[in-house]
Amino acid sequence: MAHEALAIQTENLGRVYTIKAIKKGEAKQRVALNDVNLEVGRGEFFGLLGPNGAGKTTLIKILTTLLAPTHGRATVAGYDVARQAAQVRPLINMVSGGESSGYGLLTVRENLWMFGQFYGLDSKSTYRRVDALLEIVGLSDRAHTKTSDLSTGLRQKMNIVRGFLTDPQIIFLDEPTLGLDVGASREVRSFVRNWVDERPDRTLLLTTHYMAEAEELCQRVAIINAGKVLACDSPANLKRRLQREAIFRLDVSPLRNGALSTFETLPGVRKFVHTPQDGKSELDLILAEDGAIASVVTTLTSHGAQILNLQKREPTLEDVFVDLVGLSMEQAAAS
Amino acid sequence: MSIVDRQLPTENRQLPAAPRQVIHGWRYFLRTVWARAYPRIIGQQREPAWVFFETFLPFLATVGYVYVYRAMEAPEEFVGFAVMGGAMTAFWLNVMWSMATQLYWDKEQGNLPLYIMSPASLMAILLGMALGGMLATSLRAAIILVLGTWLFQVPFAISNYLQLFAVFLLTMTALYGLGMLFGSLFLLFGRNAWQISQMMQEPIYFISGFYFPIETFGFAVALAAAILPLTLGMDAMRQLTFANGPALGFLSVEIEIGILLLLAVGFVSAAKLALDRMEWRARYEGTLSDRRK
Amino acid sequence: MLQTFNRSFRTAAWLGWQVESNWTDPLLFFAFSVLKPVSSVLILVFMYHAVAGAGSDAPIYAYIFLGNAFYIYVGAVMAGTSYAILDDRERYRTLKYLYIAPIAMPMYLLGRAVARFVVGTLAVVITLLVGIFFLNVPVNLLTVDWPLFGLTLALGIICLSFMGLALGAWTLTIRNEPWFLGDAVAASLYLFSGAIFPITLLPGWLQPLAYGLPVTYWLELLRRATLGPNAAAFPTFAAWSNGQLLAALTGLTLAFGLLAALAFRFFDRLARERGLIDAQSNF
Repeated sequence: MAHEALAIQTENLGRVYTIKAIKKGEAKQRVALNDVNLEVGRGEFFGLLGPNGAGKTTLIKILTTLLAPTHGRATVAGYDVARQAAQVRPLINMVSGGESSGYGLLTVRENLWMFGQFYGLDSKSTYRRVDALLEIVGLSDRAHTKTSDLSTGLRQKMNIVRGFLTDPQIIFLDEPTLGLDVGASREVRSFVRNWVDERPDRTLLLTTHYMAEAEELCQRVAIINAGKVLACDSPANLKRRLQREAIFRLDVSPLRNGALSTFETLPGVRKFVHTPQDGKSELDLILAEDGAIASVVTTLTSHGAQILNLQKREPTLEDVFVDLVGLSMEQAAAS
Repeated sequence: MSIVDRQLPTENRQLPAAPRQVIHGWRYFLRTVWARAYPRIIGQQREPAWVFFETFLPFLATVGYVYVYRAMEAPEEFVGFAVMGGAMTAFWLNVMWSMATQLYWDKEQGNLPLYIMSPASLMAILLGMALGGMLATSLRAAIILVLGTWLFQVPFAISNYLQLFAVFLLTMTALYGLGMLFGSLFLLFGRNAWQISQMMQEPIYFISGFYFPIETFGFAVALAAAILPLTLGMDAMRQLTFANGPALGFLSVEIEIGILLLLAVGFVSAAKLALDRMEWRARYEGTLSDRRK
Repeated sequence: MLQTFNRSFRTAAWLGWQVESNWTDPLLFFAFSVLKPVSSVLILVFMYHAVAGAGSDAPIYAYIFLGNAFYIYVGAVMAGTSYAILDDRERYRTLKYLYIAPIAMPMYLLGRAVARFVVGTLAVVITLLVGIFFLNVPVNLLTVDWPLFGLTLALGIICLSFMGLALGAWTLTIRNEPWFLGDAVAASLYLFSGAIFPITLLPGWLQPLAYGLPVTYWLELLRRATLGPNAAAFPTFAAWSNGQLLAALTGLTLAFGLLAALAFRFFDRLARERGLIDAQSNF
């Protein structure tokens, strides 16, 4: 074993996909992960934060033995995921958001029992645990419902129970609240947090593109974009990087294109994100110091923009992302 | 007045201790087989329409071949050959559709990554799929055999029960090994699995001599066809169950049993190797967990 | 209305071709398209040889060969539409989106079957050529009654499309085991349409069913057009003229057209009532 104390370790981990072209001879390569170095300690609640397409799912697939890396190596519980998959598998489980698992014709309880069998659990204690977990996630009244008759949210709850059923040493949650409504997401987060609190020796790796989720749950967060890890620290430390900067949000009347280009040369403006909204423009600004806001306001007014709202606020992980990438998460995903 | 309490539980209450995992040995293997067979068995129980499609309609197809022999004024044994061939199609279909193609289908449904990620043996999962389809398969085979025998007065004359049992068992072992081999190939072929299973059906019925004695092919072609387990399996079964069977047989039953034994060992081992190899390659090419639309 | 029909049909035909042909390279596609039907005819050829030895001059030989060759169309066109439903609903999961799009669903389904018709034609032609040049099937291409052949073929294809539409609509209402429906129905019709043996061999009480099927008349006409007088070796329709057979086929085609329209409306409503438009077969 490599590092007993580490639950997950990656060394220069990379993955390149070869995309077969429709016409022959035009195969393309896409770099999904590039030299990723991470260390996650046992008992840690670790977050991977990044926009869609950043490489989060690829990393999870590699760590859960579903995908082989094209370079570098990764270990889970000290075992090499590429060469020692059989040793890794009994120790892990995974829950992916927006995916169904099991068979629609089986009831919730039957599906969960089936997965328990694949992990070598005896039927009696599997049922006991299934029932208890269903109770906790508020699904016990649907235990005997066919999964094809469940709503997306309830199906995801079942999926979560499947992941936690085997009491894995290390659990991977890949966007577990994807597609869930606010209430269901809250319940899922609460369940996960309690699970971690009650089992300090268990490791949890969560990928998400919801800043608040990462901030609320994770002890440490790695910010990932375009296959690269840009920063890795606790949410508080990450935000501390922006301590000296001033962060403002401005709502102004819809901006013309010319107005935006002037911000690029404006002294004191480090980063800005423009989000057009219904009938207004939203500007998130990272400024070198408070005083720079004056020239921003002057510039806006000179372009005929009307200021609707101005607010100074504390930095969030989104600001950290903007600071690192130069784009908002939404823009990074679109690009 | 209604009160909305948005307070979430601050603990998950006491969960029963995690069950102990036993992930080694034949018990675990069987546990996996049974767990994967379960959805199919339950599914068939909950949606009984399959009985009609899986038994009555294929029976009609078999009847078609019987009438062709009647139209040719063939000896009565040939009618028996058609009935037996019709019954045996059930096993080929089970292997191809419940097992080999099902693995691909499970991938499409998003279950395959969960299987791969679990410590369970993929062979056990494949066997479970086939076993789950066994209920339908056995019923289909039995109905074609019983109804066909009864309607067309098939003159069975079983000469050696022990050999017949051995032939059937070895044929099935080799056949299911071959099916697993296909399962692993389909894992790579992806969406081609569907078409290939579909397109292979008649060529296999032809090459394996489902409806006629393979000695009609001549020695060389018949020998080449013997690579498919059902070819020799059915030839031996025809020899053992019909009075005129040995006269129309390809090789002696003893030799055929020997070859079937080799095929059974060969295909099961090849299936194991291929499954490991294919999983490995699929992981490298990243085709294991992506759904192709 | 006509524009919608046209748009639905054309797009579906294009899509059908992509689905049918796009899964592999053209050579493999060609091999597979031909292997299946040629094998099914070879089964019958070898059944014949197993019984009759090497000769191929018995009239039943040509009867079986041609019936089976043209029967390929039944599987391709009729089962094709039901497969389109399954493909779109279960594999590609697009049926629900097609349903809410402003297209004419029946035309769409017929369009989807075009690709299978094209592939089917290829298979029929190759099977016939293999038969004529390698397996001694007594068809002389110079003496074929081409006008009768063309007219019969066209009528039959239209009729098979109607049958396919009804079957496709039925497939909509079936959950979980509909995979073999198209093939299974095609296989059972095989028995009752005189495709591979004269219907007079069937028990008396089953024969009226054979006379009620358009495929029976269609195959008889195709045999007459290709074999000429040799087709009369089996006297099932000896008393019928070509005109009478054509009239029967036309009448039945119209009847099946009406049946298809009614079936589509009925099953379509049933499927929506039961929420089966976006059903998934999970087991």
